Amino acid sequence: MSLSASTLGKLRHIVGAKGLLTAHLDLASYSFDGTSNWQGMPEVVVFPTTTEQVSQILKLATKQGIPVTPRGAGSNVSGGSVPVSGGIVLCTTRMNKIIDIDTANFTVTTEVGVVLNDLNQALTRHNLFFPPDPQSFLTATIGGCVSENAGGPYAVKYGVFKHYILGMIAVLPTGAILTLGGNTVKNVTGYDLPQLLCGSEGTLAVITQVTLRLLPLPPARQTVLAIFNDMVTAGKAVHRVLSEGIVPAKMELMDNWVIRRIEEVTPLGLPLEAETIILFELDGIPEAVGRETEGVINICQQEGAMEARAAHDAKEAENFWAARRAGFSAIFGNTPIALAEDVTVPPSQLPEMIDRIQKIAKKYDVTIVTLGHAGDGNLHPCVLTDEKNAEHYGRAEKAVHDIFSTALDLGGAISGEHGIGLGKKQFLKQAMSPEAIDLLRGIKKVFDPKGILNPGKIWEEA
Amino acid sequence: MSQLLSLDEASRCMKCGFCMSSCPVYTVDHIESHVARGRNVLIRWASNSTIPLDGAYGERLSYCLLCGRCEAVCPAKVPSAAITVAARTDLVSKRGLSWLQRFVYRGILKHRNLMARLLGLASLVPGVSVKDGKPLRHLADSVSIFTKGLSIPRLSRPFLSTRLPSRMAPPKGVPVRGQVAIFPGCAFEFFFADMGEKIAFALTEAGFEVVYPQGLTCCGLAVRSAGDLTTAQLMAQHNIEILSHFDHIVTGCATCSSAMKDYGKWFPENDEWQQRASSLSAKVSDLSEFLVGEGFQPKPTEPITVTYHDPCHLKWRQAISDEPRRLLGSIEGLKYVEMEGADQCCGLGGAFGITHREVSLAIQAKKMQSIRKTGAQIVVTACPGCLIQLRDGARRHDLPVEVMHISQLIRGQREPPRKPRSAGDGEEQSPHPKSAP
Repeated sequence: MSLSASTLGKLRHIVGAKGLLTAHLDLASYSFDGTSNWQGMPEVVVFPTTTEQVSQILKLATKQGIPVTPRGAGSNVSGGSVPVSGGIVLCTTRMNKIIDIDTANFTVTTEVGVVLNDLNQALTRHNLFFPPDPQSFLTATIGGCVSENAGGPYAVKYGVFKHYILGMIAVLPTGAILTLGGNTVKNVTGYDLPQLLCGSEGTLAVITQVTLRLLPLPPARQTVLAIFNDMVTAGKAVHRVLSEGIVPAKMELMDNWVIRRIEEVTPLGLPLEAETIILFELDGIPEAVGRETEGVINICQQEGAMEARAAHDAKEAENFWAARRAGFSAIFGNTPIALAEDVTVPPSQLPEMIDRIQKIAKKYDVTIVTLGHAGDGNLHPCVLTDEKNAEHYGRAEKAVHDIFSTALDLGGAISGEHGIGLGKKQFLKQAMSPEAIDLLRGIKKVFDPKGILNPGKIWEEA
Repeated sequence: MSQLLSLDEASRCMKCGFCMSSCPVYTVDHIESHVARGRNVLIRWASNSTIPLDGAYGERLSYCLLCGRCEAVCPAKVPSAAITVAARTDLVSKRGLSWLQRFVYRGILKHRNLMARLLGLASLVPGVSVKDGKPLRHLADSVSIFTKGLSIPRLSRPFLSTRLPSRMAPPKGVPVRGQVAIFPGCAFEFFFADMGEKIAFALTEAGFEVVYPQGLTCCGLAVRSAGDLTTAQLMAQHNIEILSHFDHIVTGCATCSSAMKDYGKWFPENDEWQQRASSLSAKVSDLSEFLVGEGFQPKPTEPITVTYHDPCHLKWRQAISDEPRRLLGSIEGLKYVEMEGADQCCGLGGAFGITHREVSLAIQAKKMQSIRKTGAQIVVTACPGCLIQLRDGARRHDLPVEVMHISQLIRGQREPPRKPRSAGDGEEQSPHPKSAP
């Protein structure tokens, strides 16, 4: 379809002349997300600055049947914010005010275009802590994180976005503005609609404001580096740390391939011979952090770590974590295509999952590099391949298939934190029963009868 | 002209978007075609002919300050600023320059003598130059209609080359440690000659014989950045010819030092000039880098509160940020306050400050807010471009601060006897004699 001049005029009237983009080259930069293989060109990008404007845009879109793809920074890695149906990209990045930091009640109310890192910096000044930490936090917006139900290394101890959502303002495709939830931790008032919208990938409503729960900043932190000469042993050590009653704030895993690539780009002093590195962060009151640090080091040594030690100082700790953040880029920057997966298994199954991934790599003769959030069982096995080599690409796809089946076999999920979007919708049938998928479709219909919001995502059309 | 950096480099961008967290342009306008991630995709598309090499494409390429912050935050270390320059160069080689660019780059900047004559004439117009300390503000301001309101500095009278002797020895009692050539750049030669004198003076105080080489031209960065590689190479060659026999070349202009340290990358691998350019690059220092390296100790000052703004061309292009702070910190009586986001761009970016005035002003406004919060009396920087933008901002935002170049605060321990002020001197009295002592 192609938007009429009158429709564009109406949109311009709503958001102002500087609030929309229509030039081809500008639209082009909104035709992709953080993945390498999905693309779709929008016809217009609008930048509303108020909930009222969002409402007017959606009302117009519903009336005229124009697809609307909500987008924050577009740093997602599922294809979820790619406007494959054309139409309007509704970009929330200019709704970027932090409305209220409530230090007495440990909550923050913010517009959704605020960048997660900016929110964190503002909170740190008040000694407050918002744990969910997708590794795109430098760029990702709060709205995107809520819509994808994002999480990161802190999930093992602190959970993911959905565990912090107290309330929100959201706009239905009809233009109706809803105030949902509230600002209390306990709230059992009807169906939990904020939880339903969280992780709905922009398919049900456009969230414009959220109220999030906060914690006090932990007074002490310590990073521990443990080096193993095989990944399955590392997985066992992770599991034993948890079963001995230590819950580190983070437990991150990187394999040898990732370590080498990181060292090539930014030498941080990571040991190149290490098959696997596990980075732990312990946080809390200093005494507890001290004892848990000792505990983790002992367990790793007993489980056969080549080396396990605390970071010398804050600087070294930051270097280790910077290396971990660079992990994905290290992979993507060194291969034509990486099929980066996001499978999750119960933590006790981690060693088994790692073992089976290694067998899958052998079976299909492909390189699979792995990094991930070992503590919560969320792994990112990445199959390295090249679209131009059809035969190799075919084997890589089969390997991905097997990885998904294995994760489900072990009682896990096909996506831990990236969402389904476009990337995994063909696998949804494996993970959910037909009745459950029908339920998703039915819910979508109630919220969005004309199907204008982020069409074509999550499930395949029947 | 062969391509120095392959545009294929753009395909190493894996679209993580980390650049969006630090790009001064994106963080004010939130338009993704104005940030490295978006631009790298456009550059990729242009090089495989998915989109035409037209004016619209050139316009997107122009939305980059070339500050280099995106490169610092990029986990894949994609040289996005350099890629943007390469893409501009590619576009210019295929589509040519605009008449205005041709006039400015090939007509004026390349020909220092012509530039000197034109600006010399302009400086005779009352108010356009700084001579007696009381310039007619409105006349100078009338020039700003050409700069969309950016207040441009007044011309110095006379120019630096007339003020400085061709050789200046260190003051009596200071042991001679060597010889340096100073590179004044266009800014210190024509607009900030008083600061140029102070740079030369500080270097003599540090024990160096200072030579002002004759016949230098513009460093060429503005020309190179706009994509006119051929002219930029000619300018670099011209400067290299003159400077190559010196051991040290020092400049107080962050832009000039970043350009000259990069000269080696302006010529292709197998070009006969490549080696000469690289060896020159290795001898170039920024003023504070050089002085700190030589253990220079500035003179105490009356109590003042000072903050420092990091020029992008110094911090992101040359990784120099400690040295100016160390120099300021070593001045007795000076209270240093760090501003929030000291390393955030001022928003000028050469011609960007004029061609994209609105974005530039939005970036400037953030900087002014940071400066205001410090309560400092003086904001110091090390780049004449930043100086212009910060002064413009301070005026626009009614900020009670003085904007200074670092050379204006670092006087040596031994001041030579002052000479009575002569008619041709600048707004501030020249602290050193006109001829070698």
